[in-house]
Amino acid sequence: MTCEETKQLFADYWSDGLNGEDEIKLQEHLGACEGCRKEAERLGALWRDLGALPAEQPGPGLRSRFYDSLAAFRSGADDRFSQPSHRSPAKQMVWQIAAGIALLLAGVGAGYGLRPNQSPELSQLREEVANMRQLVALSLLQQQSASERLRGVSYALRAEPNDSEVLGALLDTVKRDSNVNVRLAAVDALHPFASSPATRNGILQALTKQDAPLVQVALIDLLVDLKIKQAEPELRQLLQNAGDAGVRQRAEWALENLQ
Amino acid sequence: MKKLTLLGLALAGALCAQDRLTLPFRDPNAPRKLNVDLFLGSVTVKGYEGRDAIIEYSGSDGFRGRRGAPEPPPAGMHRIGGGREPDISEDNNVITVKGGLWNLTGDLTIQVPVETSVTVKTMTGKSVTIDNISGEIEANNMNGEVNVTNASGSVVANSMNGKVVVSLNKVTPGKNMSFTTMNGTVDVTLPADTKATLKMRADNGDIYSDFDVTLGPRTAPEVKEEKTKSGRVRQRVVRAGTQQGTINGGGAEMQFTTFNGRILIHKK
Repeated sequence: MTCEETKQLFADYWSDGLNGEDEIKLQEHLGACEGCRKEAERLGALWRDLGALPAEQPGPGLRSRFYDSLAAFRSGADDRFSQPSHRSPAKQMVWQIAAGIALLLAGVGAGYGLRPNQSPELSQLREEVANMRQLVALSLLQQQSASERLRGVSYALRAEPNDSEVLGALLDTVKRDSNVNVRLAAVDALHPFASSPATRNGILQALTKQDAPLVQVALIDLLVDLKIKQAEPELRQLLQNAGDAGVRQRAEWALENLQ
Repeated sequence: MKKLTLLGLALAGALCAQDRLTLPFRDPNAPRKLNVDLFLGSVTVKGYEGRDAIIEYSGSDGFRGRRGAPEPPPAGMHRIGGGREPDISEDNNVITVKGGLWNLTGDLTIQVPVETSVTVKTMTGKSVTIDNISGEIEANNMNGEVNVTNASGSVVANSMNGKVVVSLNKVTPGKNMSFTTMNGTVDVTLPADTKATLKMRADNGDIYSDFDVTLGPRTAPEVKEEKTKSGRVRQRVVRAGTQQGTINGGGAEMQFTTFNGRILIHKK
């Protein structure tokens, strides 16, 4: 047995998967070859250490989010049987949710028109709609594809203005998303969350980190729209350091308008 | 997986000899993806009727080229190797081509099967060109232009200092798209029957289209009060920053943004 053949058997050896003949051959080779014996000892120790590592524990939110997704998916899948379609299940699910939201919204709207006093059922319904939107927005914002994340931003735009989880995800997207287009869309989606202090702080933080001029301009516009006066130091910094002339002009304009 | 990565790197070594490398996608029936991430250099990705990725590169638009004319090869000699090779790997049907500051590559031309999702990023290439690709396309060029032609599927494209030109033969319904640049024209061609909700913004330019665009309510100008440098308050008529509109009754959102430039939305 050559050294190369021996090394290929290591994993099977440690997991007790070798037949008798191979095991004897392996032992013989290890007895004769010091290089392989040393390597087997070193890797064997690593193998045992890896086995002793604790299993990764999922975060607290994961479980409930998984079951929510599953429930949403199931309700979509049930409907699919009565109305066959060639769409993929995931797409079908989002369409179902979108249709559901539209219908529920219509219901809520009609309810408001017909009754002067809001009943508990209606407020519960409203809450369910908000939860559903939150779920769709949060899961889409995590996708690998930029197009899907853009869709997540569109959903976030329709979330309740006090939904701090969606706001957190949007601010995170503005600061960290790898795609300029997604960051830009996320800045626009922050408008409805204007009243939250977290929005104001988040915009200031994002502005100092931002390197794409297009997103810088959008953030400056948002600062002016929301009248965030404490932005002056950040704006002065941009006025001096921004590489793009358009950004410097916009920062100057904002400083004049925020006074 | 590790083995394949190593294989890819080993094969990348073969570039030294011929500047051309063929790397198969491991599973021809599963979805394919190509990721290109360069610091310097132009990138061209082309769809072709084949199963492998064919990666070719030349050192012409590299670092030395920026500082002056690239040195021509000595008379009677041709390039047989050098140190500026990109890192190439295949993992789970995703082929990644990377060239950082320390391995400045030149221009890259990559051929992949037509049905491949493609993501291209480059910092200072003259152009990113993507032709004849069906899938999800993401193109980002900091200091040069982005050209996407004969595409079907969805496109998300951005440039900082160049124009963004995109032409789609077929649009996947329900996919959000976005076309943005700071300084340059955004020029997008869509099939005549595309259903979309448009969000358009050209801060210092105009927006043109031959589609029947139904403009949204937010387009009406509003009067805003502004403070002047001397402290007086004056009134100004402001067009809403983002214009909304729909074509063919509306659909997935498409974003068009340029700061210095105009927006053209053509009907195919």
